[in-house]
Amino acid sequence: MTSGKAIVLPIRYPRELLRAFGFEPVEIWGPPKVEGTLGGSHLQPYICSVVKNALSFLLEDGLDDAEIILVPHCCDSLQGLGSLLLDFIKPKQKVLTFYPPRNKTEAAKNFLIAEIERLWKELEEITGKSPSQQDLMRCILEEEMADRLTRELYMNRERIGLSSREFIELLRKREYLHPKEFAKEVQDKLKITKEKEEKVRLILSGVLPEPMEVLDEIDAAGGMIVTDDTSCLRRRLLQPGTSNRPFERMAERLLSAPPDPVLGCSLEERIAFLEKLIEESNAVGVIFYNVKFCEGEDFYYPQVAQWLKSRGIKTLKIEADISPPLPKQVSQRIRAFIESLGGRA
Amino acid sequence: MRSLIKKLKLNTLKTAVTFKSCWNYLFFDIPKSWRTDILAPPLRIGVKTKELITKHYLEGMYANGIKPVAWVTSGAPVEFLKALGFYTLYPENHGALCGARKVALELCQEAEKNGYCIDICSYARTDIGSALSGKTPVGRLPKPDLLVCCTNICQTVLYWYQVLAHHFKAPLVIIDTPFIYTEASLPDVEYVQKQIETAIETAERIAKRKLKFEKLKEVMRLSKIATELWLEVINTGKNIPSPISAFDQFIHMAPIVELRGEPQTVDFYAQMLKELRKRVKKGIGAVIKEKKRVLWDNLPIWYSLKLLSETLAENGICVVTSTYTYAWGELAPMIDPERPIESMAKVYLHPILNRGTGDKLSLMKRMVKDFRLNGVILHSDRSCKPYSVGQMDQRAKIVQELKIPAVLIESDHNDPRAFSEKQVLNRLKAFMEM
Repeated sequence: MTSGKAIVLPIRYPRELLRAFGFEPVEIWGPPKVEGTLGGSHLQPYICSVVKNALSFLLEDGLDDAEIILVPHCCDSLQGLGSLLLDFIKPKQKVLTFYPPRNKTEAAKNFLIAEIERLWKELEEITGKSPSQQDLMRCILEEEMADRLTRELYMNRERIGLSSREFIELLRKREYLHPKEFAKEVQDKLKITKEKEEKVRLILSGVLPEPMEVLDEIDAAGGMIVTDDTSCLRRRLLQPGTSNRPFERMAERLLSAPPDPVLGCSLEERIAFLEKLIEESNAVGVIFYNVKFCEGEDFYYPQVAQWLKSRGIKTLKIEADISPPLPKQVSQRIRAFIESLGGRA
Repeated sequence: MRSLIKKLKLNTLKTAVTFKSCWNYLFFDIPKSWRTDILAPPLRIGVKTKELITKHYLEGMYANGIKPVAWVTSGAPVEFLKALGFYTLYPENHGALCGARKVALELCQEAEKNGYCIDICSYARTDIGSALSGKTPVGRLPKPDLLVCCTNICQTVLYWYQVLAHHFKAPLVIIDTPFIYTEASLPDVEYVQKQIETAIETAERIAKRKLKFEKLKEVMRLSKIATELWLEVINTGKNIPSPISAFDQFIHMAPIVELRGEPQTVDFYAQMLKELRKRVKKGIGAVIKEKKRVLWDNLPIWYSLKLLSETLAENGICVVTSTYTYAWGELAPMIDPERPIESMAKVYLHPILNRGTGDKLSLMKRMVKDFRLNGVILHSDRSCKPYSVGQMDQRAKIVQELKIPAVLIESDHNDPRAFSEKQVLNRLKAFMEM
């Protein structure tokens, strides 16, 4: 049962629901290699490049082969984009929205179940299909299996010895691959065992590492991303649900997400999560790689960085646009940071 | 007195401040220094505005230990807190006050010194800078016993209040209001209602008292009346000439934001309305030679009220009203004091900033028609993304469909570094020539 491509904007949505309707969800984080001019005719200069590039891409007909566009509400800029698409731009594809709640209470769970049901009904109307509960549960279990393998990948990150870029690229394949195909690729990589190399162990924090050249720079300087605290990856690594009711299970999963500013987590939760990552990975430094104008990251940074420093963990804050090329100044700062931690001079 | 002014300008006061001593310096300068050859004399109610706000901040200075204190977002359902006897402080209003007193920049820089990025909202930077340094033009802000953050105005407050919760080690209640792209659904309302009920339980624990339902209904009733009166105040602008400008509204909106649900606010707006009706009767316009009437969209530029007001008035332009001030009145019909909690859930789901960009365009079109306006100024506010996204399309539609000029000016409501006077005045000049 195929329904075509579903273009999904960041960050949080029930991927399994789209799959149950036969859609292939393809996430659009930017994309980076897009000229932002067209988006700039609707959005002010102080809107982040993730949102602006996505709109440019759409206006350049880059999403022509998509059947639907899903815009989750994850920040003020994405809210604005969803609203602009619905009210002014009106693309040929049906535009859907999704609101993940900003707390984890019982009321939030009930609201989330209702929100998933609403999306379900809209997809029924669009496709004329009504997947069975079994189909839906199968899709949920496939996503849970992909999550489990992702966790394994993180746990065995050092043994399999991928470069930072290879590691992150593999993880980000989840943004478009079917969970079974993703699982196969991860399983293949999990078979690899490489000799341990001495590298400066780093955590990457932020929204997403774009342009990806930033990862090459980290490796070239003798660093290695051992794990991440990014919105596009680790902060979306969900726990399996427990309910036998599919909507409730999807809600449980979404609410199990690690702390992320966009979900309104507390500073204490973020710090505790980072502490766990540091313990697991023995990282010695954290690179905060922030997309310019991303308020969530900017608000939490000072306190989180202060706490890391008090723990003896070195930090580097970089603010960047997602579009290439990576500024030379950024490369130099990365190199200097890693060098100061014992990397290559 | 000079040394007191200096202290009050931006300082942590070490000595007790009396109402009398801070009277002149706590709030906006009532526009007595504004040009009266082109603008009507300031509204007499201004004295009362100053009195109310001065008393409010003065009470705040001594509130800790006497009353429970809640810091709340401007769009938070404050009525249950009032009914429980909380002193409520609005960091956004305090931010606006700092902006108007031209001390926001120094406070923003305090926040920036502590690692807060220049790109985050300037109200938040002002407030965080004040919290970190203890500096404020109002002498001293009370420490919060509770923080109440409602996301119906932006997502920024969600992050901002987490920072405050961490800094003050105060409990934080989040009232999450799903964004209304088209219309609010029943689950949206139920979700917000449930959160308000939980927030009440938390507030009761902190206040160490039970909420009296009758008291809540009374506060809601007062909120409704004040909101209706504020709407009537704004609607006097439908007269030609308009007895009030949006700049007047920016100055006199503080009580509807900060003192909603109190009897004195009802009296205040009743008195203000009376004064405006007298002006209408006498044909007194806010701009003496009103030739053109325009709408302001988005937050004010607090540190440039005088400059903008006078520049426009020189050319006979009266900024009659604004979507921003209107937002504090338009929901009055939704307030139902007999069903306070359900009504709060509905009302606080529907502020302009929690509704779609198309809905705001419809509102602007209605206002252009109802207030008989000849143009629109859209303030593209770097610090307020939810208000600003959509303005480029809204502007284009206004020009195309209403055949009136509309101009976008880039600035920031509280950070003067984002205000290029020459550029803004050039754009306004071109706009005024149309």
